Amino acid sequence: MGAPTPSREIGVPGAPGSRFVREMFELLFKYPAAVFSRGRFVLLGGWPKWVLGVLALLALAGLGWQTYSRLRRQSHSLKNWQAGVIWALESLLICLLLLLLWQPAMVVAELKPQQNIVAVLIDDSRSMGIRDGSASREQQAAAALRNGVLAKLQERFQTRLYRIDTQLTRIDSLEDITDATAPATHIGASLKQLARDTSDLPIGAVVLLSDGADNAGGIDLDAISALRNRHLPVHTVGFGPETVSPDVEINDAVLAPRALADSRVSATVSFHQSGYAGQKGRLTAREGDKMLASRDITFAGDGKMQMENLLFNAGEAGAKAIEFGLEPMPGERNPLNNRVVRLVHVDSEKRRILYVEGEPRWEYKFIRRAEDDDKLVQIVSMLRTTENKIYRQGISGPDELADGFPNRAEDLFTYQGLMIGSVEAGYFTPAQQDLIREFVDRRGGGLLWLGGHSSLADGVWGGSSLVDLLPVILPNKKDTFHRATATAELTPIGADSLICRLVDDRQSNLERWKKLPYLMDYQEAGTPKPGAAVLAQMNAGGRKLPMLITENYGRGRTAVLATSGTWRWKMSQPLGDTTHDMFWQQLLRWLVSDTPGRVVASASSQTLLDDGHIRLFADVSDETYNAAPGADVEAHVMGPDGITAMVDMTPVADKPGSFQADWTAEKPGSYVAQLTAAQNGKELGEDVLDFQRLDGVAENFHTEQNRDLLERLAAQTGGRYWRPEELSKLADEIPYSEAGITMSETKQLWNLPIVFLAILGLRAAEWLLRRRWGIV
Amino acid sequence: MKSFRCVSALVLPLALASGVVAFQGESRWFPRQGPSYPYYSDDYGPSHSNEKAEFYWSRLRYTARTDNYGGGFGYGYGFGYSWLRDYPKADRQFLMALRRLTRIEARSTEQVVDLDSDDIFNYPWVYAVQVANWTFTDAEARRLREYLLKGGFLMVDDFHGTADWERFLVGMRMVFPDRPIEDLSDNDEIFHVLYDIGHRFQIPGEQYVVTGRTYEKDGYVPKWRAIRDDQGRIMVAICHNMHLGDAWEWADKPEYPERFASMAFRIGLDYIMYGLTH
Repeated sequence: MGAPTPSREIGVPGAPGSRFVREMFELLFKYPAAVFSRGRFVLLGGWPKWVLGVLALLALAGLGWQTYSRLRRQSHSLKNWQAGVIWALESLLICLLLLLLWQPAMVVAELKPQQNIVAVLIDDSRSMGIRDGSASREQQAAAALRNGVLAKLQERFQTRLYRIDTQLTRIDSLEDITDATAPATHIGASLKQLARDTSDLPIGAVVLLSDGADNAGGIDLDAISALRNRHLPVHTVGFGPETVSPDVEINDAVLAPRALADSRVSATVSFHQSGYAGQKGRLTAREGDKMLASRDITFAGDGKMQMENLLFNAGEAGAKAIEFGLEPMPGERNPLNNRVVRLVHVDSEKRRILYVEGEPRWEYKFIRRAEDDDKLVQIVSMLRTTENKIYRQGISGPDELADGFPNRAEDLFTYQGLMIGSVEAGYFTPAQQDLIREFVDRRGGGLLWLGGHSSLADGVWGGSSLVDLLPVILPNKKDTFHRATATAELTPIGADSLICRLVDDRQSNLERWKKLPYLMDYQEAGTPKPGAAVLAQMNAGGRKLPMLITENYGRGRTAVLATSGTWRWKMSQPLGDTTHDMFWQQLLRWLVSDTPGRVVASASSQTLLDDGHIRLFADVSDETYNAAPGADVEAHVMGPDGITAMVDMTPVADKPGSFQADWTAEKPGSYVAQLTAAQNGKELGEDVLDFQRLDGVAENFHTEQNRDLLERLAAQTGGRYWRPEELSKLADEIPYSEAGITMSETKQLWNLPIVFLAILGLRAAEWLLRRRWGIV
Repeated sequence: MKSFRCVSALVLPLALASGVVAFQGESRWFPRQGPSYPYYSDDYGPSHSNEKAEFYWSRLRYTARTDNYGGGFGYGYGFGYSWLRDYPKADRQFLMALRRLTRIEARSTEQVVDLDSDDIFNYPWVYAVQVANWTFTDAEARRLREYLLKGGFLMVDDFHGTADWERFLVGMRMVFPDRPIEDLSDNDEIFHVLYDIGHRFQIPGEQYVVTGRTYEKDGYVPKWRAIRDDQGRIMVAICHNMHLGDAWEWADKPEYPERFASMAFRIGLDYIMYGLTH
């Protein structure tokens, strides 16, 4: 570990200020704030309280009469509001004095000396081993306890020492804490365990010394409830700087858990830094030793969350562990938090798209040629060559589409995507249109309309039952298809879309699109619906028209490409240019890549940090993609060192077709779960899920003190957050607790310094005002 | 004689000037060599149309070699007009059939395309005749190669016998020096895209009406051949020892047998449909 850098408390509002306020409060109010927050206000005086009220009213009235009659007579220049201020100051003084006559006090529960136990918990995880100066955080905590804090507590309470990591362990003395080597901290689970293990002990308060680094992602409600049920206040003591500097830390890397082989994958990497604002860094994606992608980035301001995209090729099929990293910066304090690993399951199962085309045209030919080079997406097409002839291509056998467009769900739902070319809506029967709707909505397929002289508004799709599926509101007219040229350009959304990414670099990609050859034709697609995304637009005849519009619908997705003239991108560019093929391959992969199978596997988390528990889920459908609640579902899990297990999955209540199972990955490493479903002896389908268990990694992250978590924990349990230098007063505040064995204490308020200051202040203010206004 | 000299003095410069203008301001609708061709008359309507469509019947205009007689049987075409054979009647009669029998949205008139311009890339299907006479510059051969490899389709027709084949190859080998030329079988997809054409026979030109022969020169056997791209798709469809263009052109002539014309239309429609789907 390098030389320590003083912590910079940027972004911690009021930390020193709040300490000043706290000290001033105790000076003026004599008692700790806990007395007022937890105590009950009472009047000890023997006279009835209503007498106090009557006297106060009489005093107010008398003073009012006196002020109005005497002061206005003495000084005719006195304004009404000035008289009112004098009256208010005198009234407050009289009311305060009357209140003191009734002997105000606070009644508060206080722990009985030596009859209660204070549990002292010391975080023993690896992050507490970080040295913030000459000593580690854990050593600082132990030193603070040794230097009087523990002794002061023991003067008034019994104490029990514990160390916490993934669990709670009682220790006899401070010498029993380890060298902060535990791989993880689960504060919530440890506190819950404390509440459970000490249920028969008079625990008066809990003192937690920690940096707040919790690997469970926070403290759950169960733990808070367990503490509140026993009124156990948790006093948290924070160690470690609230900002580590200079340092770069990756917060997360988000990418689709599944991808098609040899497809472009986009990952969004979020990170923050301190001490390197404005400097250049390098973001990388690696698979093992192989560099998949890298790009230079410029760090934003200190502490600001920054998000950057990184594109890479998914490569061949299989489970991939992709490591996203920021290369270590000079002098960086903790380079271990510069990388995270995410799993991607790269699928090689072929997707099939049914393409219905109403007329022979060049777009049809060149789309098919583009997809000939994509081994994972196959176009099965039916082309109306004459009024009564359909030419089929890409069929798996002579029977496929022999009767034209499918009439049964089990036939149409074998495809993952559907493309409708220059075909009128009326070509499809009402039943077929309903089937198309179900294909998108229930089956989760992708539907793409292409422009053409029988497409969209010219194909009367606006009057069809599928109008809801269109991502645009079609123009209410005919002749929207124009055989005139148009140029294409990306919108800001399109610039970020993988569909339109012809070049990895965003800016270069925008320029590339501007230089594309013109389109042979265009169609007026209408107005994009709310929720739809316009990825590309066309410049046609001085107008900008939406060209590529996408939208999610139900479980699937729909899109409109309002032209049939992209084939010029193939014919009018140099031989070997891949623009046209790449665009269509990416568009059609988008169309089908998220189309689910009949079994869809998921998990509570794909990356298990230190805790091997995982919950597996499966959504199972039959061949018409209706839920299959009666299926038999099991998971075959394979892991490191030959680990293998068969896990039966059970139905989830109130969610037909959903199944789940709990399992524990005992060893760190990569796991594969193969989920299979069968019904009545017939296999419905299977899906594969990858997950990993990483031990000791989480502690490398969030190495700064998580003050927010510690403060929230204290606030929610009635305790208080303490800085180490304030610990000398800890023993004075702990007694005010309702936990353990308590007694009721009465704290008189008449002698508070604030009371005398208020009396003096009111009189002084009145005197000064009278002098100023000339009514003395 | 004096008046003759005066007239000559006026006419010759005008004629020369007209020739220069005609040469420099070459129109798409006139051949680049020699005078205008009689079939450009308005008998068949204007050869160019502003009508816009998905499909344009495109005829390849090329520079013909000058060491050949330039024509087939009987018509004695002048040098340089080989590409014009049967133009435009054959084109337009074929387009009538295309528009009537298929759902292809085609323009009713033909389009002439050249290899000296990138404009040819806007017309992915091209028809060429008398290809024994074609010649290419290196740039034209390269453009045609790129056109075909990017997805263009070329149908060649109306050349006969061994000598014509050899001359055809001279041009074709400039485009594709190494690609094999193969004979098409009955099972090839190109004969089944629109019409299943199992039994094919030689399609003669109009000379059949006079001579009764289905062949010309020593081209006794019809050859249905092709050049494919790396994915096995046909780029060049070669109709050797036959004359489909004449069959389309004279389909309305009572003396020309219907079976030849019908086969020629079916072949042509299959080739176009193949070019639009593969």
